[in-house]
Amino acid sequence: MKIQRLGLVASVALVGSIALTACGSDSNDPGTSGSSSSSSAASDCPKGGTLNGEGSSAQKNAIEEAISSFQDECAGTTINYNPTGSGAGIKQFTAGQVDFAGSDSALKTVEKDGVVESDAAAKYCGSPAWNLPMVTGPIAVSYNVKGVDKLILTPEVAANIFAGKVTTWNDASIAKLNSGVTLPSEPIKVFFRSDESGTTENFTKYLKAAAPDAWTTDPGKKWLGKGEGKEKSAGVAGAVKGTEGGITYAEWSYAKDNKLGIAQIDNGAGPVELTGESVGKAVSAAKADGEGNDLRLKLDYATKEAGAYPILLVTYEIVCSKGKDAAKTALTKAFLTHFASADTQKGLEEIGYAPLPDEVRTKVDAAIAALS
Amino acid sequence: MWGAFLLALVPLLWILWTVVSKGGHLLLDSQWWTNSQKGITARREGGGAIHAIQGTLIQGLTTAVISVPIGVMTAIYLVEYGRGRLAKAVSFMVDILTGVPSIVAGLFIYALWVTTFGFQRVGFAVCLALVLLMVPVVVRSTEEMLKLVPNELREAAYALGVPKWKTIVKVVLPTAFSGIITGVLLGLARVMGETAPLLILGPYSKSIATDLFSGLMPTLPTMINQDRTESLQPAVDRVWAAALTLILLILLLNLAGRVIARLGSVKK
Repeated sequence: MKIQRLGLVASVALVGSIALTACGSDSNDPGTSGSSSSSSAASDCPKGGTLNGEGSSAQKNAIEEAISSFQDECAGTTINYNPTGSGAGIKQFTAGQVDFAGSDSALKTVEKDGVVESDAAAKYCGSPAWNLPMVTGPIAVSYNVKGVDKLILTPEVAANIFAGKVTTWNDASIAKLNSGVTLPSEPIKVFFRSDESGTTENFTKYLKAAAPDAWTTDPGKKWLGKGEGKEKSAGVAGAVKGTEGGITYAEWSYAKDNKLGIAQIDNGAGPVELTGESVGKAVSAAKADGEGNDLRLKLDYATKEAGAYPILLVTYEIVCSKGKDAAKTALTKAFLTHFASADTQKGLEEIGYAPLPDEVRTKVDAAIAALS
Repeated sequence: MWGAFLLALVPLLWILWTVVSKGGHLLLDSQWWTNSQKGITARREGGGAIHAIQGTLIQGLTTAVISVPIGVMTAIYLVEYGRGRLAKAVSFMVDILTGVPSIVAGLFIYALWVTTFGFQRVGFAVCLALVLLMVPVVVRSTEEMLKLVPNELREAAYALGVPKWKTIVKVVLPTAFSGIITGVLLGLARVMGETAPLLILGPYSKSIATDLFSGLMPTLPTMINQDRTESLQPAVDRVWAAALTLILLILLLNLAGRVIARLGSVKK
């Protein structure tokens, strides 16, 4: 009886250990969609290694494509990216939990909530942390109103909607912009990002810059307007998809994936539809800013240029300028070089992002090369 | 009575049906059981869940290895030795531990492991948080089982001149063996489906990771969480499939518990 019992326990342990050591495989067929590039970066592949990143969910779709194609090119390397939001990403980076942070806005150089982000990052790194703009993309003001395929908004009206001052779809201010469209009398349900989000920050920066009279609160990662909170980009987009009369701001790819209506924005030079072309026009006007290799992209939100879609976000990768570990630094450099390459950037276009302008890309390349 | 039974069955069947119909087809693909999600983006189909299954099993077993000895020995103390104030205090503490919400256990370990010691978030930290949740379950179930052992057995052993420790090891524990195993497996099933500490301590990774002490360790609950708000169909399917996998894993564990309890019980 005793032997039988021991046998039982042993067999359980055996089955368990077999299950654990079962040969799993990390090799999935190389992706056919998106950016399956065959750039010359392959020769710079480091030998294996793991890199962990965390942060902005706005760049999740872009970085996933870049990771996928990078891992195909450089066998044995592993890049993890957890899209927990820009705020969380920066906190985990300064706490030394991840190797790089993804953020929708550059590290703050002024104190906020008792912390100066760039100082905290520099303290962890032991060297200045650099912001590298990597992905740009439009923020779509997405809505779900039955029978309304085309909606035009000015920054003032958009700001009033998101601040909760305009509460029904057939409000006179909206109707004035959209003559010929039958707007229902249902209430406007605003959804916002409940997590700390760089998308919120970029969107509120736009509202503040383009409609300073209507949008009075300061831009920030936390939403200070009205509405109902949902977690992450996919959360707000999904909420609008399932709510008649809903409106939100989300990255273009999320609006497209959920098949939401996207408002045309009239910054003063006529309504502009959100297209690759109109985004390209606005992004190419962006200027690189910042000191040396610590790059920031300066956007002109209040642009009145005809045919340029003004609501954009830039997402950055935040890295230590002097890495703590040579192997990790090599891997970081290889991955970021791949991410910033013209091929990868071009591939991002079809999933709702915009490639970096060439002038900016050259600077980013130089900064990546200067990482040590 | 039958009405109540059917009423209780409705949500169960509903959940099972939803999960199976939405994610079942992925489990039929052998790739699901052999491959990880490495290199698979939300808009691509394919890949598997072996990385998450392994992570969940490794963390579950490690948690059990730590908590079972602690739990069983605590229970033995409480039933066989414990008298007076200390036993009361221990019993009280176990009660408190039972009532600790899982997120608090996760935060406590985060505060200890990351904030105080400055370590990385690794699989072992998750195990520590899970231990906090599993120990009280094991203590309580083992205690009940030991109490069920008839006193006549103990007295008979003493009458033969067997020392107390030997009575416990050779008579009491074997008698209660099947009950203890069932309790352990139920506790294990509970912690393996646990999510809150994982969200805080165990970031997700798409690649296979078996090292408890370095790197991110993916698990089924975090795999579900990663894509739960995703709207692209391939990712949504995988979320349901991962949920079904987790349900099956825990079901298997419960069944194993029953079988062992039946086979291992003392023959009359």
